[in-house]
Amino acid sequence: MSAIAANPAPRRSPFWRAVISGTGIVALIYVLLYALYAFWQPDALSVYTFTDLVNNSTPLALAAAGETLVVISRGFDLSVAGVVSLTNVLMAVYPLDGPGGALVSLLMCCAIGAVVGMINGILVARLGLQTIAATLGTMIVCQGLALVILDAPGGMVADFVTYTLTDTLFGVVPIAGLFLVAAIVLWLAFRRTNTGIGLYAIGADEQSARFSGVAVSGVRITAFVGAGILYGVAGFMLSAQTATGNPTAGTPFLMLTFAAVALGGTPLSGGRGSLVGSILGAGTLMLLQKVLFSGGVSSFYTGIFQGFVLVLAIVFGNTVARLLRKDDAR
Amino acid sequence: MSTDETRLAVRIAKIAKSYGPTVALDSVSIDLRPGEVHALLGENGAGKSTLVKILSGVVKPDSGSMSILGSPYTPHGIVDARTQGVATAFQELSLLPNLSIAENLMLPKMPRGMLGLASHRSAMAAAGRILSDYGLAHFDPDTPVGVLSLSDCQRLEIVRAFTHAAKLLILDEPTAALADVEWLFELVRRQKTLQTAILYISHRLGEVRTLCSRATILRNGRSIGTVELSGASDENIFEMMVGRSARETINALPKTGEAAPVALGVKGLSGGILSDVSFDVRQGEIVGIAALEGQGQRDLFRTLIGLAKARGGSVEIDGVRAQISSPGAALHFGNGLAYLPEDRKSEGILAGLTTASNMVLPIISRVGRSGIVWPAGERRAARETAAVVDLQERYLHFKIDELSGGNQQKALLARVIMTGARTLLLFDPTRGVDVGTKQSIYEAIRKFAADGGSVLFYSSELPELVHLAHRCIVLYGGRIFAEYQGDAIDEQTIVGALIGHARGAKTGVAA
Repeated sequence: MSAIAANPAPRRSPFWRAVISGTGIVALIYVLLYALYAFWQPDALSVYTFTDLVNNSTPLALAAAGETLVVISRGFDLSVAGVVSLTNVLMAVYPLDGPGGALVSLLMCCAIGAVVGMINGILVARLGLQTIAATLGTMIVCQGLALVILDAPGGMVADFVTYTLTDTLFGVVPIAGLFLVAAIVLWLAFRRTNTGIGLYAIGADEQSARFSGVAVSGVRITAFVGAGILYGVAGFMLSAQTATGNPTAGTPFLMLTFAAVALGGTPLSGGRGSLVGSILGAGTLMLLQKVLFSGGVSSFYTGIFQGFVLVLAIVFGNTVARLLRKDDAR
Repeated sequence: MSTDETRLAVRIAKIAKSYGPTVALDSVSIDLRPGEVHALLGENGAGKSTLVKILSGVVKPDSGSMSILGSPYTPHGIVDARTQGVATAFQELSLLPNLSIAENLMLPKMPRGMLGLASHRSAMAAAGRILSDYGLAHFDPDTPVGVLSLSDCQRLEIVRAFTHAAKLLILDEPTAALADVEWLFELVRRQKTLQTAILYISHRLGEVRTLCSRATILRNGRSIGTVELSGASDENIFEMMVGRSARETINALPKTGEAAPVALGVKGLSGGILSDVSFDVRQGEIVGIAALEGQGQRDLFRTLIGLAKARGGSVEIDGVRAQISSPGAALHFGNGLAYLPEDRKSEGILAGLTTASNMVLPIISRVGRSGIVWPAGERRAARETAAVVDLQERYLHFKIDELSGGNQQKALLARVIMTGARTLLLFDPTRGVDVGTKQSIYEAIRKFAADGGSVLFYSSELPELVHLAHRCIVLYGGRIFAEYQGDAIDEQTIVGALIGHARGAKTGVAA
């Protein structure tokens, strides 16, 4: 009976664990796709093309990063579509120029996301609403607000934001990428806090987490607020890309964030996963568009391919996980 | 009085707790001395788990008081309880499978390293110290808990409680999954010397006698009394657990013919934790299954009705060899087999539909005319059976979730009877229903048997087995441990058999 205790599952090095995790799989897919891209499009390896790709991917990657926080805590957050629309519209209707203006705009976007996240968190953790119901409500309210502020596509995002944030640092580092790096660094720190560990705990089993002393409501609210802030930054970066406002700008994000999260190896059942995987997942979805385009496939087919890659990646990930479990059980 | 109180580690006085109309604890008083291992005994549903939750700070009592070393103890949460020196190893284990052993031991606060972030290295070191301190040095603190065996998880749950329990340690069924009991006993003895009071909850009387000096018995949410274990025989204790008058209210059961044909024949059935179970249920016979939680009764019923796969063995219904793949298929072998599920909410009722619709569901094709089910026809069919289970007619057009639990259960029993199956499987048919409803359900079951039907039922309440069953089978560790017939079905005997004490039978079946 104590054989299992005496001979615990084989330990793997952190590197090997990362490779076989969902993050490793999506990273592999990304590299393969990029190779294909370079094959069809010789300038794929140029700084210009790479910067363009990072710029295109950043808004979705940040939104998917935020969604990951909620998904790990075993929840769904639909408010991403609302927050992105609302912040985009505000950026276009009230442009603030110069570096100071950009900073104020960024803080405003974060604040809006934080307030929406706080409302989501309170509705779920304190009033006991289901996550989908609560965030569906806040999504619709935010989209409504966006329409009130700007009833048709238009407006102008401040020039400083549009130019600087799509540029490169020292001619090589895409500035948008720095936002992703910042999100990853903050995430790696966060997952080593009590709240970060609590996030995984409540996602696996809320009752056990409570019995283990985790402050369940507090962790849940933190997850929603963190997610909201990331959606705010996503809206900010989207505005820098499009340079204009659109009250329905966030709508495509709704499904694509979940696709990016799932592609990144975070199961929608909670308790596992990584924000880094989701960022790579978002990158993969955007890269796929480029690859198909450079391969001469009509953009109408993009959705079909994205769906296939998503399902294949999840099936592949599950298969690897099952094989490993068999390995451990032996 | 005051000197007496300060000598006590923990005083629990007149604690009461109700959930809506259900009284979980009526009045419970227990005194624990420092360094005492005190047993808490009682049947399923006596209120033990509620008391554990109150002491652990998970649930607040409605009234009553608790004190530790003379000062009042009113925890507002599990962390608060821990800081006051009270910790619990929960029966249903509260570990997180996706976190490492170290993280589980440290929750909710990790040791900090650089930059105030959780330090992997010091968490490993601290967990390693705890593990080796409690004789589990061979555990790697970095292992995810999800890969551990159930027995190892239980050890971890126990160790975690020990590390936080300075004044009161609560062990709720700590040996349910434990392979090595001596390991726990050693730890308990060591903790005693630190003057920690230990509340020990177990169904295994042998263990209780080894470890504990005194025991408090709970029955129906009341503490019946505290006894010195050295001066109390097993029979005394069982009698206190069950209540003296239980046997007196028995109704005479009509005899069944020994020679009646076999309605349900089970041979060598295995599946889940069930192994090699064989028995017959004859026509007109009511057979009761008695078992503590998790002894295979669930596997037995689910395997019989086709919700779980059998590993081996055979089932015959009215002499017809039955390969049952689903509850729907079970109706078509012999004269049919129908099942009343355990959890009325999730497996029984269809909340949005009327009571009548819920009742006629299995025979919907017979009620309908030319493929359409008319409400009038539905109600007519339901009305006939409603009378059998004593369900008032006016409830038939109500949505079933508007009915009380007792009436829902009557409707579900009616549904099972309406299927026309002559053999019924009833899993805890009176769980959570009031006394009046119980009588109606008993009547319906007896009448069904008197008309030649056969019933196999599991009950978590012993008096019910005594009242209702012609024959009673005790399951223990997935096997048939004992079997009693007619007048031999006696609560005290069964209580003994439930925990592996049977007259003339070997104890300690594959624990």
